[in-house]
Amino acid sequence: MARGVLAACLLLVVQSPAIRFDGGRNLFVLENWAGAAQIRPERGGDVLTVSVDAPNVPALLGQYRVENKSLVFAPQFPLQPGLSYRATAKLPGATPITTVVRIPKPDLKPTTVVERVYPSTNVLPENQLKFYIHFSSPMARGFAYQHISLVDESGARVDVPFLELGEELWDRDGKRFTLFFDPGRIKRGLLSQQELGIALHEGKRYSLVIDKSWKDAEGQAMASEFRKTFRVGTAERKAVDLKSWVVRAPQSGTRNVLTVTFPKPMDHAILQRELDVVSVGGAVVSGGVAIGPEEKTWIFTPDAAWKKGAYSIRVGTATADLAGNMIDRPFEIDVFERVDQNLNRSTRSLEFRVD
Amino acid sequence: MTAFRITICAALSILLLTSAGVAVQQTSSLKAGKAELQSAGALAFGPDGVLFVGDSMGGKIFALDTEDRTASQATAVEVPGMSEKIAAMLGTTADQIQVNDVAVNPVSKKTYLSVSRGLGPTAAAVIVRIDSTSKIEALSLDNIKHASVVLPNPVNASTGGRGGNARLQAITDLAFVDNRVFVAGLSNEEFSSTLRAIPFPFSQADKGTNVEIWHGSHNRFETNSPIRTFLPYKVNNEQTILASYTCTPLVKIPVASLQAGAKVMGTTIAEFGAGNTPMDMISYTKGGQNFILMTNDRRGVMKFSADGLEKFNPITNQVPDKAGVPYETIAALTNVVQLDKFDAQRAVVVTRTGTNLDLKTVALP
Repeated sequence: MARGVLAACLLLVVQSPAIRFDGGRNLFVLENWAGAAQIRPERGGDVLTVSVDAPNVPALLGQYRVENKSLVFAPQFPLQPGLSYRATAKLPGATPITTVVRIPKPDLKPTTVVERVYPSTNVLPENQLKFYIHFSSPMARGFAYQHISLVDESGARVDVPFLELGEELWDRDGKRFTLFFDPGRIKRGLLSQQELGIALHEGKRYSLVIDKSWKDAEGQAMASEFRKTFRVGTAERKAVDLKSWVVRAPQSGTRNVLTVTFPKPMDHAILQRELDVVSVGGAVVSGGVAIGPEEKTWIFTPDAAWKKGAYSIRVGTATADLAGNMIDRPFEIDVFERVDQNLNRSTRSLEFRVD
Repeated sequence: MTAFRITICAALSILLLTSAGVAVQQTSSLKAGKAELQSAGALAFGPDGVLFVGDSMGGKIFALDTEDRTASQATAVEVPGMSEKIAAMLGTTADQIQVNDVAVNPVSKKTYLSVSRGLGPTAAAVIVRIDSTSKIEALSLDNIKHASVVLPNPVNASTGGRGGNARLQAITDLAFVDNRVFVAGLSNEEFSSTLRAIPFPFSQADKGTNVEIWHGSHNRFETNSPIRTFLPYKVNNEQTILASYTCTPLVKIPVASLQAGAKVMGTTIAEFGAGNTPMDMISYTKGGQNFILMTNDRRGVMKFSADGLEKFNPITNQVPDKAGVPYETIAALTNVVQLDKFDAQRAVVVTRTGTNLDLKTVALP
């Protein structure tokens, strides 16, 4: 007799409606509810809701469906490790059923570091325009300026040296951050420069400091602080002059490198993309590009051996030095009328021969 | 915030919208399907409930048919703890989302927000709208009438894309003026100003014109620096762009001068000083006078008169203090991170307290 009651109770327990979380498929499943067969998926929210386990918050976005006689809720976004979610089923004529699911958070160790910063040289012009900060892993957006500082020789922070933009300037992978100096303090004659002065002073030393509490895209702090110490030289105010570039041509029949050497360091990112080698017929020669020490050399290795003949290096006019001076166009110009004369061509050419 | 820029040419737009045929034409170019936004940033309303969204990661401008065309007399919206509520709806916490821009639908008075769910490069793009009862809902992007236009990336054009994967154009502002979407952007590599005007409805054959805008300073030097935010505004009946730059001057540019491939000299009419990155601008009329409200990251909300902007001489001489158009800082508006016009008397603002964002309407000062 007792055994029969126990069996009946077990059957009742087994058959009672219950909410199960399917972690593998990221689904909440209301099982053993006879009404599932009749409910239309778009009315699923009348019965089953899932929310973050916090007071007065709206339900999660997601979609309902009926699967194997169960009502299933699929959240629109992956559930977040470390958070708890409350699933509630309000069934007609029954006490609501609630299940709280905690998503475990893996114990990750900080591994992300700043791998390098460009410019790589340790002497920067007084009107330095920007840094490129390269990280080993994708970073979290929205907090950059809290974690970057510029300190002088005494360790004192320089007040607002950088342009702080809501739209942080990242590359597609979230691994390179572009940090502009405040152009209002670089450009001459502006009120900003009168009020705060220039950020960098010739002859002084400064350090760019990136603190390790900056979190990566996984929510982990960095493994270590990064510091780049540099000395400040004279301001660069002249346009980039192609005539000062030195081209070293390779021998035909080899895959030796072609090098272009610049008299001053150039902007790393722009240099990588703005130069091309073009054959006499106008076809772009395919190959790989490397940037030499202190961004003073552009090194091209062709995919195939060089053939004898005339070539040119096609140079985009956006090619810039560390202060943002471009080809035939300084960062600041002093007579606007000159602009039109110079800007009609987007590329220039440097001729060379392979013998 | 950019939504009410269109009210600058409101008279013209309303005239156009009174013609049902024009409205149909604007939305008939939009096709139903999944709007594949890689990111959602700058927002601006166009005609007939069309919401323009800047997708910096995807290098595109999207036009979404919100189908939100029912006029409302709502006078307020208030959502304390907005970021926590939006985050919870997206299954996360307030510190894991970013609210990138705000635009009010001028017809329905619903507030639209562009949101990133997650902080890394794979963060999901979400468009959320909030009505006057504080109800928050997400705009479904899986099946929505939409169109998009790819912004040309000079990298692809000039060098076959070597190293170009790293170059992105952050879309910093959008506005709809005279059937064109104006787009301001800031590259993560070169420092320059390009303002693109794209005809709407979008056409792949016409991705608009690119204009370089230079401006001067107190001294004689001019730069082609990036526009941070801008406001279409009529100055003495001339359609003008009032552009605010990353290096703080306010510059006036006649729209008529923005021709394809042109290099245009803007006129610097004000300077707002150091450490003052402009974020949003709206215009309004109060007591028969016209004003512009500008939010800044460090200097709070500034108000200045928009009457007689044509009378301010270009700033060309060195002057010791803040120059050109005079302004006042609105002490009552603090911690404002987003701003748009709600109606003729009110603005909607997003304010930040710690990690939390609140949404509310405030009287225009």
